[in-house]
Amino acid sequence: MNILGLFNLTVPSATDVESTVTSDNDIFASISPREILIFIVGIIAAYILGLVISHHIRVRMSHRLKKDQLDILTGIIRAVLIIVVIGISLPGLLDLSVTIILIGLVAIIAIIGVSSQKVISNMVAGLALLYESPFATGDFISTGGVSGTVVSVRLFSVRIRTTDGVYVHIPNDQIYSTTVSNNHANVARRYVYSVGIRYQDDVKKAEGIIEKILETYTFVLKNPAPAVFVSDITADSVVLMIRAWFPSNWKLTQDDISLSIAILPRIKDALEAAGIEMPYAQRVIWFANQPTIPIDTASKQR
Amino acid sequence: MGFSYADPNIRIQLTDNAGLIKYERDCAGQKESRYLGRTFSAIHILPVEPVNLPETLTHFLEISFPSLLISPGAEQTVYLKFPVEIGVFLESGGKTDPLDVFSLAPVKFSLYGSPSSGVITRWYESDLYTDIPVTDPHREGLMSLHIKNSGTETTTVSRAVFDSSSMSLFYGDRVAMTATMEILSPLIAHTTFSDTAPADCPNRAIDLYLARGFSITNRKGYFMEAGTI
Repeated sequence: MNILGLFNLTVPSATDVESTVTSDNDIFASISPREILIFIVGIIAAYILGLVISHHIRVRMSHRLKKDQLDILTGIIRAVLIIVVIGISLPGLLDLSVTIILIGLVAIIAIIGVSSQKVISNMVAGLALLYESPFATGDFISTGGVSGTVVSVRLFSVRIRTTDGVYVHIPNDQIYSTTVSNNHANVARRYVYSVGIRYQDDVKKAEGIIEKILETYTFVLKNPAPAVFVSDITADSVVLMIRAWFPSNWKLTQDDISLSIAILPRIKDALEAAGIEMPYAQRVIWFANQPTIPIDTASKQR
Repeated sequence: MGFSYADPNIRIQLTDNAGLIKYERDCAGQKESRYLGRTFSAIHILPVEPVNLPETLTHFLEISFPSLLISPGAEQTVYLKFPVEIGVFLESGGKTDPLDVFSLAPVKFSLYGSPSSGVITRWYESDLYTDIPVTDPHREGLMSLHIKNSGTETTTVSRAVFDSSSMSLFYGDRVAMTATMEILSPLIAHTTFSDTAPADCPNRAIDLYLARGFSITNRKGYFMEAGTI
């Protein structure tokens, strides 16, 4: 039994297939205006039904799914409805058997599959991204050397606006196969800053000043508590490390620069006001043979 | 059309500038000024849910207070202070729209739970009172919190997290709320608000959530699933 026999289809030989397939002119000559009208009405009805279902899904699922996910889901539902209507009505309209339609469909899928591997790969990756939803519109992400705010997540690609306003279009399969960092996936995010002070400055005093700033700064979270501690003693300075948590959905945590601009100048000003200064790079040089430097005492006395 | 209110910390003024109404507010140095492109029949200045400033980052209010030990089956009513935010509303044609929100209370945010599954909260530290304390109604409100331990273990409580979308705020001599905290286990508690007005605060405040056009889907309170300490 061949594969068609499995499905009890009535295509005994290729000649029958040929006889079933009439010429294009004959097909269209047999279609009445009424049948065309029913076909068009069917597609319009499927389109309207798709819109109604989409609306209900949006109303009922908006608190569970993100906007991008809803867009893709409703798009797929609308497309499936129209394909089903075409699949049901086209054989009758063109007077073709289901077998011919199936063969045609398989051939079209095979051609599309061979010629558009990349497109299909992107679509599959898009569906995977939809399911896993590692990010959504409005999130700030970093992927493959690109950082920016997600403008849209589509079936084939993701569009990102970088902090300098550049529009970047990334195919879904590229995103799916690489690392993605999402600044907004969690509700809070920790930032780390380093501040160097001079050796002669009071470390405890400097820590206290910075802690006070973090305590009074509205957007530094109370819990987890911020931390200030000596993280390194370098050749030129004592390095204080500052760790503080901020809400991820705050506008200044959209990118790292905005937050630095808001926090670091306050710390610098407060430390300087307390007489604690940022150190200059310095080196003490020792000579193996101490050179004799003549001192002009006469000019000094003048 | 003109309106003016002033006390040592707050000044609100509405002036008619050749048909264009100018709104000005000065709250302890925080100034706001804007022109209104429409007329209105009334202006309301009322307390609102304290989760709007300096920008809306959360709808949860967390009050931290000294530790309180509650035995299984025990019930205790305590009084806490919470921050007050003041909303200015314009009424016209039976509709009330928010115009401005300001506050004299300090603003601080916190995280309740873990960064991946927790929530950002508007954080406020209060003392624990067994008698009604004196409050500055422009700055702080009074919450009557009824704590009930329905669990089987003695539990320490030092913070309460509330969902502002289920908040019922009243005003009169002071700004007040009545809340309940039911401890289900040392890790889980359920907080809700009462819709009944306290005796000295008969007036219900306008829900800013509703005034902004949001629909309230949660009137069932909040489950604190990250502990009560």
